[in-house]
Amino acid sequence: MALVLKNSSAALNQHSFSPYADNGGSIVAVAGDDYVVIASDSRLSTGYSIYTRDQSKLFKLSNDSVLGCCGCWCDVLSLTKLLEARMQMYLHEHQKVMSTPAISQMLSTMLYYKRLFPYYILNILAGFDNDGKGVVYSYDPIGNLEKSKFKAGGSSGALLQPVLDNQLGLSNIKEKPEAITLEKALNVVKDAFISATERDIYTGDSIIINIITREGIREEKLELRKD
Amino acid sequence: MFLSRSEYDRGVNTFSPEGRIFQVEYAIEAIKLGSTAIGICTSEGVVLAVEKRITSSLMEPNTVEKIVEVDKHVGCAVSGLIADSRTMIDRARVECQNHWFTYDERMSVESVAQAVSNLAIQFGDSGDDGGAMSRPFGVAILFAGCDEKGPQLFHMDPSGTFVQFDAKAIGSGSEGAQQTLQEVYHKSMTLSEAINACLTILKQVMEEKLNSSNVEVVTVTPEKLYHLFTKEEVEAALSEVKPLIKDEPSSSSTSKS
Amino acid sequence: MNFYGGTIHNGFNDSRNSFGGFRGVDDYNFQPDIDRGFITRAHTPLTTVTSVLALSYEGGVVMAADLVGSYGSLMRFKNCPRIMRVNANVVIGASGDYADFQYLQQIIKQKIIEEECLDDGISIKPRALFCWLTRVLYQRRSKFDPLWNTFVIAGLQDGQPYISCVDKLGTGYEDKQVATGFGSHLATPLFREAVENKPLPSKEEAIAVVKKSLEILFYRDARSFDKYLLATVDSNGAVIEEPQLIKPDWSLAALTECP
Repeated sequence: MALVLKNSSAALNQHSFSPYADNGGSIVAVAGDDYVVIASDSRLSTGYSIYTRDQSKLFKLSNDSVLGCCGCWCDVLSLTKLLEARMQMYLHEHQKVMSTPAISQMLSTMLYYKRLFPYYILNILAGFDNDGKGVVYSYDPIGNLEKSKFKAGGSSGALLQPVLDNQLGLSNIKEKPEAITLEKALNVVKDAFISATERDIYTGDSIIINIITREGIREEKLELRKD
Repeated sequence: MFLSRSEYDRGVNTFSPEGRIFQVEYAIEAIKLGSTAIGICTSEGVVLAVEKRITSSLMEPNTVEKIVEVDKHVGCAVSGLIADSRTMIDRARVECQNHWFTYDERMSVESVAQAVSNLAIQFGDSGDDGGAMSRPFGVAILFAGCDEKGPQLFHMDPSGTFVQFDAKAIGSGSEGAQQTLQEVYHKSMTLSEAINACLTILKQVMEEKLNSSNVEVVTVTPEKLYHLFTKEEVEAALSEVKPLIKDEPSSSSTSKS
Repeated sequence: MNFYGGTIHNGFNDSRNSFGGFRGVDDYNFQPDIDRGFITRAHTPLTTVTSVLALSYEGGVVMAADLVGSYGSLMRFKNCPRIMRVNANVVIGASGDYADFQYLQQIIKQKIIEEECLDDGISIKPRALFCWLTRVLYQRRSKFDPLWNTFVIAGLQDGQPYISCVDKLGTGYEDKQVATGFGSHLATPLFREAVENKPLPSKEEAIAVVKKSLEILFYRDARSFDKYLLATVDSNGAVIEEPQLIKPDWSLAALTECP
């Protein structure tokens, strides 16, 4: 009896501290030859509570690079602040704006630098490669990077990615049409999010879309389910 | 003249009343004892050529190395205290690899020069990172490289000042050589014309007769990047030079053709 | 934490699991334990304070928080003010560990003094304070020595109503309305309902919603109290009013005597 009491009181009193939180959120990015689209939802949550319905998870790093981050929000705030500082230092040291491939590599080293206490973030970077073509880089929390043409990640990653594979990667489709247009990419991104919101409680409220072209970055917003 | 100097020329952390740091100026003087090195930047690429002082027939000429590869796309010609230059070249190489590691791109030539300059001015009492030099480096460096801005040539002196040049000579024969470069250089120069000009001028300023073992030639081009001339390539280049010199002994204006 | 969807439900764990009785001496080991070869930072909240509510209105913001300091389930202290006036444009409110709040309060006070010593008329704006707090709290969490608080920063940022929130990890966000602790479950829905059709209510409407929320929290949050502080920040400056009392109506409750 005494043992039971001791254990139960220990269990009640123990506030095990975790430095991480899952604040949800999802990112989708699609690259074409002369454009990149990157979108995030705007819900910031913890468990069943919604902190805010209006938090963009997209960070404009330069005129042609946008980073989408979700996962542990306190890590997102810290990493993006550090990234912006590193971008500024690079600008001053080398008298040029960092290219998307340069950012992609730097982000990888920054994440791996924290290998033993990682930033718990799902990063997706959208921009243009050195040939001027749209490109998407995606990362795991410790800096493994993959270059691709489209990628979904975050709490709805497993719901969104198959839609992209089917509609943009044209997996299992015999008749391959010509290149994906910006309009098609936008529609797929929107539909994918609308669908994911139906099943994932950590994704919702609205999506913020950044459309990156050589002319600059344009922003669009689309309301999603609030429940 | 030397009276006022003697009071202020011993330390590197004291300005003279005229606002000079003599040790730095003496270091710049030290370069003028070094072997001559010439760099010419053309739209096709950059060429570096240096004289190797082979003071004994028993010396192995290959071990006298005055043009070095810093990265695939950057080469450096040095003149002055060669031992000092090793430290600086080391820094340049580390910075290039660090840049590649972090950013997955070639470091720009200017940034390489900047990085080495940061080392060059860390003389004096050891600063934050302890192991600084107690005196200025006695080296002048020509940085030749190709980056996204194309072929570029930078010159840096012991004060750490670095400036971009179309054509630059350093070392003992630099005054005469620079004068000739001024006359010879033109914007539409081809790389082979530049190689010719370099060797012509070296021939003029060197005491010894120019041959394939006492001259080192490197080109940095967008296609082949850093390329050190083999003995055969140097000989081939030298053989093309000779008739030019015979034609116009006083000035190499022929290379303008 | 599962990164792809499945997460652990942590709805009601906000600094209120310390229901148990008194703990033994061994449980309070704040000293580096050299014998065991590692540093123990046995940090659990002791004296805790509950929800902070903040809502923006046309031209300003209102913040409210009660005055009780709980020791586990014991209502230990009855006068724990936890809304702090930073300057004429900013107030800050805290929930969680009261000692940690007092510690940070001292640091902020020192910052204010240093700012006043400069006498250049520049005072910290709410967004700057918010950003600073995210850094302080993130650094502490990264040292596994967190300040066990959730802070709410409210005020005027360049004349516009501003509210933001930072938790013990350094998680920070801005919104039109914020409620911490139990209030995040009970008051946030009321706030969101209030601003749904009218993004910026009038001052009177906002204060009424906040007072109603305090009353509901008093009914349902066992760690809450009927005495509270209410602060407003608007063109009249940052004003923390004298403590007020909730006038509860228990007439609906069973087994109580109705008047």
